[in-house]
Amino acid sequence: MASEKNLRHILLEYLVIACLASFFLCITLSPCFAYDLKDKVKEFTLKNGLKVLIVERHASPTVSLYISHETGAVDEEDGHTGTAHFLEHMMFKGTETIGTKNFEEEKRILRKIHDAGNALDAELIKGEGADVRKTENLRKQLEILQREAGKWSIPNEIDRLYTEKGGGDLNAFTGQDLTSYHVSLPSNRIELWARIESDRMTSPVFREFYSERNVVMQERKQTVESNPGRKLMEQFLAAAFMAHPYRRPVLGWAPDMRFLNIDYTKEFFRTYYAPNNTTITIVGDVSPEEVMKIIKRYFGRIPSQKIPIRRVTEEPVQSGERRVKLVSDASPSLIIGYHKPTLPSFDDCVFDVIDTILSGGRTSRLFKALVEKGIAVDVNTSNGYPGARYPNLFVVSAEPVSPHTCGELEEAIYKELDILKKEPVKPEELEKVKNQLKADILRSISTNSGLAGMLSYYEAVTGSWQYITKFPDLLEKVSQEDIMTAAEKYLEPRNRTVAELVRKK
Amino acid sequence: MKRYIVYAAVFIVFLSSCAWHGASVTDPDDIVYAPLRFEPPKAQRVKLENGIILYMLEDHEIPLVNISAVIRMGSFYDPPGKEGLAEITGTVLRTGGTKSMTSSQIDEELDFIAGKITVSVGTDSCTLSMSILEKDIDKGLQIFFDILTNPVFSEEKMETAKVLKIEALERISDNPQKIAFREFRRLMYHGDPRGKLSSVESIGKIERDDLVKFYKRFFRPRSVMIALSGDIEEKDAVRKLKNSLGKWDISGGPGKPPPPPIRVGSSLTYIHKDTPQSVIIIGQPAPGKKSPDYYAFEILDFITGSGGFRSRIFAEVRNRMGLAYSAGSFYSPRTEYGIFGAYAMAKDSSTVDALSAITKILDNVKDRGVESGGELAWAKESIVNNFIFSFATPNRIVTRQMMLEFDGLPDNFLKKYKDNIEMVGLDDLRYVAARYLSGESRIVLVLGNKEKFSKPLSSFGDFYMEKNSTENREN
Repeated sequence: MASEKNLRHILLEYLVIACLASFFLCITLSPCFAYDLKDKVKEFTLKNGLKVLIVERHASPTVSLYISHETGAVDEEDGHTGTAHFLEHMMFKGTETIGTKNFEEEKRILRKIHDAGNALDAELIKGEGADVRKTENLRKQLEILQREAGKWSIPNEIDRLYTEKGGGDLNAFTGQDLTSYHVSLPSNRIELWARIESDRMTSPVFREFYSERNVVMQERKQTVESNPGRKLMEQFLAAAFMAHPYRRPVLGWAPDMRFLNIDYTKEFFRTYYAPNNTTITIVGDVSPEEVMKIIKRYFGRIPSQKIPIRRVTEEPVQSGERRVKLVSDASPSLIIGYHKPTLPSFDDCVFDVIDTILSGGRTSRLFKALVEKGIAVDVNTSNGYPGARYPNLFVVSAEPVSPHTCGELEEAIYKELDILKKEPVKPEELEKVKNQLKADILRSISTNSGLAGMLSYYEAVTGSWQYITKFPDLLEKVSQEDIMTAAEKYLEPRNRTVAELVRKK
Repeated sequence: MKRYIVYAAVFIVFLSSCAWHGASVTDPDDIVYAPLRFEPPKAQRVKLENGIILYMLEDHEIPLVNISAVIRMGSFYDPPGKEGLAEITGTVLRTGGTKSMTSSQIDEELDFIAGKITVSVGTDSCTLSMSILEKDIDKGLQIFFDILTNPVFSEEKMETAKVLKIEALERISDNPQKIAFREFRRLMYHGDPRGKLSSVESIGKIERDDLVKFYKRFFRPRSVMIALSGDIEEKDAVRKLKNSLGKWDISGGPGKPPPPPIRVGSSLTYIHKDTPQSVIIIGQPAPGKKSPDYYAFEILDFITGSGGFRSRIFAEVRNRMGLAYSAGSFYSPRTEYGIFGAYAMAKDSSTVDALSAITKILDNVKDRGVESGGELAWAKESIVNNFIFSFATPNRIVTRQMMLEFDGLPDNFLKKYKDNIEMVGLDDLRYVAARYLSGESRIVLVLGNKEKFSKPLSSFGDFYMEKNSTENREN
């Protein structure tokens, strides 16, 4: 869970797909100490179920604003992978009142685009059996209609409005469990944010749906297909999970992405972006009373929705090692993962400690055994991958220094994991690790956006941000025995998946 | 907590009767905002007797202290044939132990108090930074200054650093963007030390003695500036610094490196790599921060490609044409010189289309400047409104102020920045566009697999010379 380590960023990159450019804001998953959050967080709930968390910080007249919807790729049905992330792209296309010259006129054409696009997809999905003349006609028709629609729309208005009023860090991320929209603004501009965000939570317009599909295909090419590490991670997850949706990439499988469906995306939006499935988090130079007036005025009218019972297939217990190989023209790398429970299970907290013992800083065990010895260029561990609403994985990843092999790294890693099972961690080492976890939390909440991100994450994933304030006590309880027991129970060969990138000969 | 929940309930009742009518029809452009009044705190500047300059700002929100020392040293000074020496020196400065502590003692002590010390080496500066809990400040500072003033560069740690750096260099060939941007740097700084990059061979030649000499040449009090912010009293901080660093007394130090020669001529470079997505980068020399053209060029870059979704390259290449996920421009101004670049990561088959689209945008800007006052107003408003974030945290304020002095910029640079941006007019944009975006000083770099391009690169125009280059070419 904790620190700012290089590889964690790579893992997070995979978990969280950013929308604008290639920036990834890392949601750090660590709770807080020595900084009394309990009294600083003010919590409100509107009648429609919308949750609001506010922390005042007056160092500068700026504010960080998060909107987090408790949904993500796990809520997609098979065949529709990539919808949650694509919806996030669509949310930047404007609303009925933002981004249009005349919505009545525009709507007429958008309806025709909707019909033509669906008809074209219905034909194309037949594959070789598709009627070539029909698809050509539909394609042309769609192109003409899109040009026509372009006459009525004003592209990129949301971005323009925010940018012009001094907005920064405008970004959105879709993960397996959580979708967040974030912006930082000068603190006098909160009403602009409320105006835009409440409007897009009510009536977004999915303009440029079909050309944006091409953009996400490009995003996949850029971030997965030209990136051997990410590709390996994709293969790894698909092997580690047989049944649970965590097996699927957030970005979607390419064949599904080609047919991302406008109606399905709209329905996904209507259901999961409901106010009763959403938390707003605000940290910065604000007065809670003033902000609540604005929030109530703009968001209070959005109707709540019935959130369906989520039917997510539980992952069957793994009963033997799984191995995957990816052959690619790239340097070797290795990923090893073990199934484990998620928050707020005590074992998850034990794994935070194990995580830091293994890779927190230069004196961590794996760093010393692999990087200091010059056999790995980097090594990292991550607790809680690729999501945290459901049981997840503890992941170790490393890249060998040539001519050392992934096999050697595996052996060295297993050796360290075995020590965890057999020898109690020395009290000084345990204390060091707890100190590190505490300090990492302080670092991550030192910025407004860091604190806002953390509050909204825990609110969404555990049901209450207060998990953060309970974490210190949990951490203190983690004992030498707990570590040995958890290592023994979860870090065993039949519970693991190993993925290896092998260079093409 | 209860109190606030009750509070919220009151608002719900009160506002639901009168609210949302107005809300749904307000044009977002018509929202009226209260003025923003803010006088950013100014960092204190202290000069120690030995020449070290300190900038300091208190911040008691979180019990942490941040300190960074910037030193005039960097890859610019790498001796020919030993490119990478500055970087390895920086790495081993941190990992190689000191006169009083071994490498592992330092790591153990720091990790125990959860302190973090990192080094980063740039072209003409090296930064040693630490983040430490307030309660451990004394221990932290002792280690930090020990590393800064008494490093011993152990042979063993240097060997590890070299092995890791060589592996990292070899792994660059896995990453199309890294290959392309490295080559871009070489091309932009051709004939200047800034264009000389480390290679497996040059790293291999580095010896411990090189590190020691390099350190001695650059690490001198007069070449060091320190920024300190966080949960510590100002006079405490100054006293601690005087105690630890006051005795460090060696005079001299390097002068500022001269700017690179102005590159003339244009070229087209093709790098072969079988990848589904091509990398396109176009570069031009641009004004530095001291140039009177700086402000106009900031705006020009914003409009051309760095101002988000609305900027021209993004809107055209990503939005309208759907050819790329990442496309835009960047402008990196240094004090005396700068670089402007435009880029796109495009689908292999549409490489030449994306390249033509970007070139067309640049040519259009060069020939006509920016014709719409609306676009200029949008760029100015965006830049000016966002400027407040330069002062978002005390750490940012203090670091910025220190870097102004380090870079030789006037200390009212930030204060005047907004006014200078406001003063830019359409004429200024036309002038800088014509001056800096000329096709005659434009380099074009394309990485990808030519065979998959739907149009040949030559269709892009025979104006440019084409040269081939292999992916792992060194220097």
